[in-house]
Amino acid sequence: MEAKELSMEMKEYIAAAGAETLDWCMQCGLCSALCPWRLVSGQISEAFSIRKMQRLGQLGLEGFDTEEVLFACTTCGMCQVNCPRQVKIIDNVRSMRSTTVEAGFVPTNLRSIVGSLHANGNPWSGAREDRLNWQKGLEVPLFTPETEYFLFVCCTSCYDPRSQKIARSIVEVLKKAGVSFGVIGAEESCCGETVRKIGDEELFKKLARGNIELFKSKGVRKIITTSPHCLYTFKNEYPELGGEFEVVHYTELLAGLLREGKFNLNGSLGKKVAYHDPCYLGRHNGIFDAPRTLLGALPEAEIIELSRSRERSLCCAGGGGRLWAEVPRGERFGELRVLDAEAKGADILATACPYCMIMLEADCLALDKQEKVKIMEISELLNACS
Amino acid sequence: MGVYICTGCDIGESLDLEALSKVAASEYKVPVCKTHPFLCSAEGAGLIKQDIAGEGVNAIVIAACSPRVNTDVFDFPDVFVERVNLREQVVWCHPANDEDTQMLAEDSLRMGIVKAQQAELPVPFQAEDISKTILVVGGGLAGLTAAAETAKAGYRAVLVEKKETLGGWAAGLKNVVGLQPPYTELEDLNLADRVREVEENEKITVYKNAQIEKIAGAPGMFDVQIRQNDNLYSERVGAIVLAAGAVAYDATKLENLGFGKYTNVITGEQLEEMAGQGAIKRPSDGKPVESVAFILCAGSRDKEHLPYCSAICCTESLKQALYVKQQNPEASVYIFYKDMRATGNYEFLYQRVQKEGALFFRGDVLGVAEVADGQLVIAAEDVLVGEGIKTEPVDLVVLATGMVPVTAIGEKLVIKAEDDKGAQEEAPADEIIRSNILNLEYRQGPEVPPLKYGFADSHFICFPYETRRTGIYAAGSVRAPMDIPATIRDATGAALKAIQCVELTAAGSAVHPRVWDLSFPEFFMQRCTQCKRCTVECPFGAINEDEKFNPLPNPTRCRRCGTCMGSCPERIISFKNYSVPIIGSMLKAIEVPEEDEEKPRILVFACENDAYPALDMAGLNRLSISPWVRVIPVRCLGSMNLVWIADALSKGIDGILLLGCKHGDDYQCHFIKGSELANYRLSKISETLNRLALEADRVRMVQVSIMDYDKLPGIIEEFAGRLEEVGPNPYKGF
Repeated sequence: MEAKELSMEMKEYIAAAGAETLDWCMQCGLCSALCPWRLVSGQISEAFSIRKMQRLGQLGLEGFDTEEVLFACTTCGMCQVNCPRQVKIIDNVRSMRSTTVEAGFVPTNLRSIVGSLHANGNPWSGAREDRLNWQKGLEVPLFTPETEYFLFVCCTSCYDPRSQKIARSIVEVLKKAGVSFGVIGAEESCCGETVRKIGDEELFKKLARGNIELFKSKGVRKIITTSPHCLYTFKNEYPELGGEFEVVHYTELLAGLLREGKFNLNGSLGKKVAYHDPCYLGRHNGIFDAPRTLLGALPEAEIIELSRSRERSLCCAGGGGRLWAEVPRGERFGELRVLDAEAKGADILATACPYCMIMLEADCLALDKQEKVKIMEISELLNACS
Repeated sequence: MGVYICTGCDIGESLDLEALSKVAASEYKVPVCKTHPFLCSAEGAGLIKQDIAGEGVNAIVIAACSPRVNTDVFDFPDVFVERVNLREQVVWCHPANDEDTQMLAEDSLRMGIVKAQQAELPVPFQAEDISKTILVVGGGLAGLTAAAETAKAGYRAVLVEKKETLGGWAAGLKNVVGLQPPYTELEDLNLADRVREVEENEKITVYKNAQIEKIAGAPGMFDVQIRQNDNLYSERVGAIVLAAGAVAYDATKLENLGFGKYTNVITGEQLEEMAGQGAIKRPSDGKPVESVAFILCAGSRDKEHLPYCSAICCTESLKQALYVKQQNPEASVYIFYKDMRATGNYEFLYQRVQKEGALFFRGDVLGVAEVADGQLVIAAEDVLVGEGIKTEPVDLVVLATGMVPVTAIGEKLVIKAEDDKGAQEEAPADEIIRSNILNLEYRQGPEVPPLKYGFADSHFICFPYETRRTGIYAAGSVRAPMDIPATIRDATGAALKAIQCVELTAAGSAVHPRVWDLSFPEFFMQRCTQCKRCTVECPFGAINEDEKFNPLPNPTRCRRCGTCMGSCPERIISFKNYSVPIIGSMLKAIEVPEEDEEKPRILVFACENDAYPALDMAGLNRLSISPWVRVIPVRCLGSMNLVWIADALSKGIDGILLLGCKHGDDYQCHFIKGSELANYRLSKISETLNRLALEADRVRMVQVSIMDYDKLPGIIEEFAGRLEEVGPNPYKGF
């Protein structure tokens, strides 16, 4: 048997990069069993075992650094919330990624987003001055010291044409609900969630510090996010860098206003709606009920629970940098999500995350199910009925 | 004599009671025969008490429920009580008002009456000059605990320790793992307090630097000779706690792991000693260690060495890993294991060691090799990576060696019935290891019989402390590998068993598992042929040999299983209420119908411990049992004498089914060897059957546990089916 040599130096490097709980792992394998990659076949599914990746990291052994292993994890958190040892598996993954990314080895498909983040402050290769293009024809208030909420629109919804509609419908709904909000504009940068998960800690810190400085200089105290990913980062990662803000996802805010009677829905939807819990809204931020409250208030809509829902929601496959990954058809677990909705007879698969929207729409098209199941953002449904 | 038939619990509605009463009154001319609708009521029992007082009834047959229930209600002083099980084993598992059910009930009553006619009330054996002192052999943690607990319960203890100081293996420990939450801290065992408690206790006599020269006698009256230096002391004790402990496996046999070959390969015991002295250093140059590899199961769970798990090595190594981390938090710790057996609260310790950064490797260690400067590299298979790995060079390798009970060390002896004469027909005798611990003056050898790996044999499920020498209770790691809390519990348990033993012996009663039993075997010596079968087959070594080579029973060593009775070819061994003739008469009382009636008969000898209660449970669950069976309970299948089989077959009974406990390595027999001996004797039955020109299939033994009650109807049915194929017993009507 060929023996691999352990490297305590590598192990310590990984641990120092943030994998503080790497040693807690007892290798029970529950993570691998719960991993969505087990639901599909293909090259990545065969190569990637989150349990083994943890093990290689523990021992500082080579083998975790191949692209299909190191960058496979979508950081959906299914393993992490169920880990009997409370190992912070996602921290371990990003720390292991940082061993190559910080050395300058970024996978080809991620190079453009890292470059764009450096140059433009967004991953979509969009010019900084184009950040407000999504607003065309829509009156969006600017944030002033008198405004209650700063609305942070996810880069995806700033630049991606389909996603821009989400930003617009959120703005319209917030207005209808009488929320005091405003945007800052072209100086905003990406929250840095994805780039941190990719392992580029330095770039994340640069983006985060820039934002914190900007937000503070504008007098921001409360933030509404359109994306659960921005929500996660502002809430959980900015405070240690000095950015303490009160952060809500727009669904939380609207659900509260709905309950207080300050926001009303009318008209008639007449559809069956299934809700897909985005990993970062649900498992990562614990928000399961707000989107359901909003959907439940849609007039004449039948709300369906998917078989894998709430804490057990199936990932769309777009987190952890996977939004930019090419995966052959039939090997994408986002497709299973569309099939879940179809199996339950849903007309609409609603969600509340720009990444989930991109992934699920692509998967729906790939499956040629677009006539059967429509992928919609909750704000679009709310806007149609208010 | 009085016969009382209860008509409650479906009995009255299911049987022809007039006909049943006639069996007692007319057939057996029993003077008092009464029925009562609720015999276990105060009124019912009162009726019997009246007859005892008024009619002078002194032998009673109660035909009602199972003898396993209402034992307190039907307990009358100085009266022999025989119970006929009409409820569970007749009306609850056979159709009501059926000719065959009636025949079964009548036969059951016949057998009960015959037994009551022949049996006598046991007179308890009264030993003379009884001692209630408990001898504790071994002054380690188990022995200290046993002695202290004995004294706390108000009994005198005598403790014998071979070393100059008390404390044993535990005295070498720097720390132990904390037993309170959070279960992760290292604590002092406070062994010195335990030693002081024992040494200063006026109820405890301590002999240090002492050995047992010999132990003669029996429970309640063991005479112990203790040699201390050049002096010989005598103590009379009632029972013994064997707490002699274990020693570490000899690491010099582990050269494959580098022991003896490389200076920096040491054992766990050596590390413990070093840690206790203050610092963990490399033996080669005395430098403090910066990296340590622990190899668990070093020579354990290994066919070439100790095949078993020693229970403590995993947690001891985890503890020692903490010593290393305490000395230097930056030190690398590698732990190679087969399975991490850190059960219960030790899980918290395991987690702590993991969180402190120790690396764990599951898989086989492939080798230890020295590199430069006395450092060592371990190559192993890592199951979790699925490949071989090699460590960085480490300063120290620690082998966690397993434990060997001291009872396993010594010459192996086999004491046969006769000195090599006629040995070919004998049941295999026990092996005894001359370990020089108890030095019993027993014909069966000087120590307690061991299990496969040299640990003292005991019924591993039901009676863990009972060794196979009555009155000697094993505790601690001489019994099984165990950790400190388990040792303390074990020693306490064994001390209490020893106390029970002296009290029961003083009352003339058997010890567990027949605590109520006052009978004991009596030998009709005039007919003894000195074959010594009884001395060898008694699972408890109760029978010695006198100077004239006759068997010399020791009633207080006896567990009352009757195995001697089953072994005796001359049938000279009897209990007052259980003997070869009594059971023989019972089976002869069964009415065997003529062949043309097509009503075969199957005699079932059912072990009282599992098979008989299982039959009761079949009744409780209203399972249907073949009407051809006639059940005779036996104390243990070991008490089955082959003459019963010959008698039953010559009477025309078609088949005999023996229901006993599981035998073999993982035996369930309450008397350890009984079931196995019955099986052995049956293997010799073909001769008898051939003599009678009968088929060997007519006798069958089946191992059942109490949980097999649902299988019993099938087992019996299947046997009945086979007997049908064989055809009726040609001896019917002779």
